[in-house]
Amino acid sequence: MIELQNNQLTFRFPEVHKNAICQIDFQRTLRIPDDNREYPLPPGLGRFPVEHVDDFADSLPDSWQEHGGVFIPMYQSEALWINFSGDYPCAVKIAAGKINAVSGKTWSNGLSNDPQDYAVIPEQPWLDGFNVSEDFIRQFIAMPLGEGFTAEEQITGKAEHGGLQIIVYPMKHEVYVELCREQAKRPAIDDLDIQFCVCESAVPDMGLAPGGLMRQEIYEDEYGIDAWDRDHGYRCFIHLANSEQYQAITGHRPPHKPPTASDYTSAGLPWFDYYDDGKALPGSDTLSRLTSVAAKIIEKGKGVLPDNDPVQPKIVKIVGKGNLVRDGEF
Amino acid sequence: MYYIVHMTFGEYIREHREALKAEDRRFSVRQVAQRIGVEPAYLSKIERGDVAPPSEAKIRALADELNEDADMLLAMAGKVSSDLQEIIRKRPQLFADLIRQLKTMPDNSILRIARDVRDGDW
Repeated sequence: MIELQNNQLTFRFPEVHKNAICQIDFQRTLRIPDDNREYPLPPGLGRFPVEHVDDFADSLPDSWQEHGGVFIPMYQSEALWINFSGDYPCAVKIAAGKINAVSGKTWSNGLSNDPQDYAVIPEQPWLDGFNVSEDFIRQFIAMPLGEGFTAEEQITGKAEHGGLQIIVYPMKHEVYVELCREQAKRPAIDDLDIQFCVCESAVPDMGLAPGGLMRQEIYEDEYGIDAWDRDHGYRCFIHLANSEQYQAITGHRPPHKPPTASDYTSAGLPWFDYYDDGKALPGSDTLSRLTSVAAKIIEKGKGVLPDNDPVQPKIVKIVGKGNLVRDGEF
Repeated sequence: MYYIVHMTFGEYIREHREALKAEDRRFSVRQVAQRIGVEPAYLSKIERGDVAPPSEAKIRALADELNEDADMLLAMAGKVSSDLQEIIRKRPQLFADLIRQLKTMPDNSILRIARDVRDGDW
């Protein structure tokens, strides 16, 4: 079952194990410059508000009601990252517009290990974008569907789905019990004890497009695909509503636009770098061929992406498994 | 979590307003009545139970004024919030059946059902 509380999705699998819980929230962040330079991790500026589709069924497109799930408000060209919490190992598959953000393949339920199309929690504390090459992702950027920017449109040629899709599979009960036994024998390894912790369109649908280049590894599954209980997955469709439409739909004001990367950096605020000794997955060939938003704007002859000046992050905080705080204040 | 107490609507309003008034004179009958847009005499009658509870809008204003839960005050007044009525009207059999089934369930189970995210067809 999936619960929504405090703008966070909690996936629970009591039928597998009482500890089998994975929490996912969507962090507001600044858009890193889309200039082919490599940037560290931008901050989390708080959670996006998350609403049940069913609570606003009359004001939303029929397709959203059919998909079920939730929706969040995003401004055009706003970025997000996905924050994972929970210490029970889970395999999480993430897609944008039903394009897998790790493998670049089209959506299917289930998991694949050739190539690996999922991230492993808690080893993977967050995901900021599309897996374009080993150690690098392109930031998730909200763009209106139908203009050719989103990964979905670039790969399939269609603007059908938009949004984000997530499916979570917990580790099998017996594998987890065995893992706990092994962990108990190796008290020095305590990883598992850490608590990981405005579009003008009248249509609210948005999708995610590839933005700037960021250093972030997506880690290889060290447990192997057979560790995951593929009979017990829960999935959720996260629709992206443009912020103006969101206010009209819900009556709630969306969060303010995040600062620009330039303003944030000039204010002397920190960026982040994450270190882990896990082996990183190679990038997806399909995703590596995506054209970023800034390049696409130029390609379309629509000028240049605003607020896209290069920045030089001066303060880069190193975070690791024992310290996963990536909050920014502005 | 709020529960219905064994008091009439009027008694409950008076008790809470008087408790606030002990700390702050702005919670006199006159001033509260003024702020929610009714005559002081009418609010006194409501508190004494001489007249029926007021409209949903006035109950919501009172809830806001006294920092009480509007749904609870509406229930004490024998009313169901108009947005809930609208929800039930759309699928009356389903919700009537659901509510009857939930009657004896513990709060945590009800909360879990209420906040489950539905997966659809995609």
